[in-house]
This record gives sequence, structure tokens and C-alpha cells, in this order.
Amino acid sequence: MTRIPTEHATSLKAKGLGKRYGGASGEVVALKDFSHTFMAGTLSVIMGPSGSGKSTLLNLLAGLDTPTEGSVTVGDQDLTTLAETARADLRLNTFGFVFQSFNLITVLSALQNVAFPMGLASVSKTEREAKAKTLLGRFGLGERLNHLPHKLSGGERQRVSLARALANDPAVIFADEPTGNLDSKSGRIVLDALRGVADEGRTVIVVTHDPAVTEIADTLIRLKDGQKDSS
Amino acid sequence: MVWFLALSALRQRVLRTFLTALGIAVAVGSMVIFLSLGEGLRQAFVGQIGSIGPDLQVSFGPFNASASLTSLPELPLEYVERLNAESETYGITDITPLLFHPRGGFTPGSSFLFQGLPPSKDAGAIYYKYEVLEGRTLTETDDTHKVAVIGEQVAQRNRLELGEVLRLNQSSIFEIVGIAKSEGGLIDNAILVPLKPLQEAIGIEDRVTFLALDLSEPGAAAATAERLGNDFPELGFQTRGDVLGVVEEGIRITDVVRLGISAIALIVGAIAVANTMVMSVIERTREFGVVRAMGAKPNFLFRLVLTEAVVLSIVGAFFGVIIGRLGMIVVNNIANDLIGLDVAALTVRLVVFAIAVAIAMGLVSGLLPAFRAARIPIAVAMARE
Repeated sequence: MTRIPTEHATSLKAKGLGKRYGGASGEVVALKDFSHTFMAGTLSVIMGPSGSGKSTLLNLLAGLDTPTEGSVTVGDQDLTTLAETARADLRLNTFGFVFQSFNLITVLSALQNVAFPMGLASVSKTEREAKAKTLLGRFGLGERLNHLPHKLSGGERQRVSLARALANDPAVIFADEPTGNLDSKSGRIVLDALRGVADEGRTVIVVTHDPAVTEIADTLIRLKDGQKDSS
Repeated sequence: MVWFLALSALRQRVLRTFLTALGIAVAVGSMVIFLSLGEGLRQAFVGQIGSIGPDLQVSFGPFNASASLTSLPELPLEYVERLNAESETYGITDITPLLFHPRGGFTPGSSFLFQGLPPSKDAGAIYYKYEVLEGRTLTETDDTHKVAVIGEQVAQRNRLELGEVLRLNQSSIFEIVGIAKSEGGLIDNAILVPLKPLQEAIGIEDRVTFLALDLSEPGAAAATAERLGNDFPELGFQTRGDVLGVVEEGIRITDVVRLGISAIALIVGAIAVANTMVMSVIERTREFGVVRAMGAKPNFLFRLVLTEAVVLSIVGAFFGVIIGRLGMIVVNNIANDLIGLDVAALTVRLVVFAIAVAIAMGLVSGLLPAFRAARIPIAVAMARE
């Protein structure tokens, strides 16, 4: 199921990635020696039981946390050597995020939530509102622009979240349990949308427990005890 | 973006925003009331002493406003003659001896300041807009008579009428022969009596509190004061500016005291803001993590929290000034009943100062929560339920 990368093409490469946490009760190895290249235009699914290191891996790949060893390369940039402000710029312009709990900003409407990352990127108000409307329309939310998150259903919130993730036209989308809080019908809509995003040439990385997600995956990575499970 | 998000967040938590702003408003309001007392006194003194009074005031030794009014008079009357003898040298056109004698009471309303002056002198030269409302003014024939012209406020406060008497001590009773019209100033509380009977009443017949000098060239008062000071080193010579300066210094000292008292209220207000912002940061930790994940820099969250704190403070300051203004009206009503003066005034500089203090309070109290918001690790924030 190889996809042809388009103008969004940016692969993401993890090499020897590891994360250890020091604590009073000793060192905990959350992730160990993880290497993988996530190709542009593909949808990769990372699965594993609780505590297997899925969230840690996602945080390291997305530059939300720093590894204790290894590297993450996006295009020709090593994420692990960048200063925090440069990592923030990379997250703003190259990455998009979809979370299990939607994590919309509660005080902003659907339109304002989608426009928010564009505001951070200094896009003009007119331009960001126009683009936010287009994105929300694409996910069937054209009639819900001015609704606050608590006025939206779970599926609608997740679609707003997906629209927000695409606001700055990122090359890589990270989705953490995107169907975790949704019924099967809403989950299906979100998965189809993610598939569509990957088909546009973006790199999509999904962390999930949901076996249904594997149906749309190009690549399946299983984690166990902080390592790739090749069994 | 920061302003928009900050205002949205404050609007969403409307009750908390209201209560915190109310706390700040009370703090700022109490500060405005305290400090408006100084502004009112300044206006009263500058408005009246600045426009009237002698060209030069002579005291025995350096001028001390409070000591002059509370201690026995020290300036020998012989200086009237000595200065008269030099009047041509210094361009002195008139010399008026003045004697101030307070009669204390338990309340401002029962305290009087007797002011003795030669009855032949025009009180209008000393008091702004002096005009007799009832009865008559003091005349030359009152030189040895125990009579008094009192201010309208003194009369109203103490329910005094023409023909009634004021008791200075057991043997000295002054009959009220005139009531001066209220002008909302110092004359309202004056008790003007002839100099000699007042000297007799307090047993000091050869001394007064001040001499008031009128000069042929009032514009040269400072230079004349310096020359007189060289020839009469035992005396103090004060221009109107000098007197105002001493009064201003006294008010400034009380400013510090009142500001100190206000600081307690301000500290409480600052703690309220800090508490609200810390709570807000804790509650929104996950949201802040999401914002950071989306590409916001730590500085964005720092500015966001600080902006919220400052907006809260500005809103609080706005209502604080209104509370202060209302409180000031109450204070002035009470003060007018007691001493016939508007002791509090809300000036532009006081409003600007109150808002500046509130903004500073918001900045200081928002700093710690803002640092906290900016420094939360993203992964930790995102994991927060």
C-alpha cells in the first residue's frame, strides 16, 4: 500500500531512540533503541499494551520531549539538537496534532480553535478565518463554526481537532488515540479523514489501542516493554 | 492572539474574574480614599494660602507649622516697632501681629482655633473672600472687648448664634458679634478675636505667634526675606512659597503614612490576583501543554498569564477609582460636618497613580504564575488530567 509522496513529502526518521527516567526507586526505561523511518504519504500505526512506550515514542518523535539517546530527523533537521524555540517553530510549521481528548481550547469557538495555530504563525486574520472555514467545511462542520467545544459532539470535536492539526499545512500529523473517545461511527469518519490526509502526501503517525485503525494503516509497528515487538 | 485569548479566558471564568477584580477594586478604592485626603488638604492650602496671606511671615526662629499652633507664642511684640523703624530700608508697608491659640476638644467639632489680630486690620487681607453674613466685623472700638467673628461652619456645627458666647477658659468669654460667610475654606472654621483680649486671656501680653508683613514690592519677597534674615538672625522670614513648602512637606509625610496603610490593602489585592492566576495555571496546565505542542513558545504563555493578571488589575483599578470616589464623597460629608472642609479630593494624578499601582500589582502578582506556565514541560502538561 505504498503511497506516492506529494508536495507535503517529509519523512521522519528515528534512530536508536531511547528514553530513561530516573527516580527514587531506580531507573525506568520507557523506550529503548527504537529505529524507524516514517515515510511521507504513509499512515503508520503504533500499537501496544499500556506501558509499552507508545506515548513516550510519540512525544519524542513530535519534539514534545527530549530523548536520553538517539535522534529524530525531520527532512534534514535533527530534532534532538534543536533549541526549544526552534523545536516550537518546527511543531508550528511542520507538525500537526490530534489528541484522544480533543484538547480544544475551551474558550474558543470551532472556527477560532482552527484559526489559532495560524495566529501563532502570524497569518493575517482574514486569511486564517477563510482557511479555518474551508478546513471545517471539508470535515462537514461548516454549520458549526461558532460553536464552543462543549456544544459539539465527540466526533465533531475530533474533526475540529483534525482541522486544527491541518491549519498550518503540516507535513507530519501525529494522532494519539484519535478514536479513543468516539463511538464506532464517529471513529470511522475520523479514520477516513486521517487516511485522506495521508493520501495527500503527509506523514501520518497514529498511536492507538483500536484494532480498527490497522485497517487504514500502511505500516504497523508493535511495541512491547519499550521496544519494537518483531514477534 | 495573546490579548484575545486572555480576554476570552477571563470572560469564561466570569465569577472568578469578578471576585478577583472586586478584591482589587476594594484595595485600590481604599488606597484612593486614603491618598485623596492628602490631595484635598493640598487643594485647600494651595488654593487659599497661595492666593492670600502676607507677602512675608515672621516667626521667632525657623518656621515650624505645627509647633507654631500648639506651643505658646514666642515672638516678642517689640519686633513690630523694630521692623517699623526699618520699614523704609526693606520696603515694608504694613505689619500685622497675629496670635493663634487652639482650644482643644475631644472631637474636631469641639476644637477651636482662636485667631487674634488688631481689630482695625482688614480680615479680608488674611482670609480669602472674607464677608460677614450676620452681625458685624471687628472694628477699632473692639480693641479691648472680648468679642468674636466666627466662621459659618463653626456656628452651624456648634449651633452658635449672634449674642452667644465662646468660652476660652474659666475667666475668658468672647461674645459672638458676627458670622462670616462660608466659602468652603479656612474662614469657615475661623474664630477671629481682637489681639489684646486674646493675649490677656492666655496671659502672654507681649508676644504673638507671627507678624504678617506687606511689602511695597511683593515680587522681591524672597530677596527681602534674605536681607531681613541677615539683620534679624533670631527671626524666621517666610514667603508664601516657604509656608506652602512647609505645609506640602507635612502633607507629604502624611502621604507616606497613608500610602503605608494602603499598602496592606494592596498586598491583599496582589495576593488575590496571584492566587487566581496560580489556580488558573494549574487548571489549564493541559491546555497550556496543547498550546505549546501546537508551536507556541514559552514566552507566549508567559505573556498570556501576565496579560490576564494585568487586565484583572486594570478592571479592578477602574472600579477601585469609582469606589474611592464614592468613599471620598462620604469622607467629605463627614469632614464638612466636623470641620467645614473638603479634606479629600480625587485628582488626575491620583487616578493615574492608582491605575499605575494596580498595573504594577498585576505585573508583580502575575510573574510567578506566568513563569510557572512558561516552564511546564509539554509532555508533563499533556499527561495532566
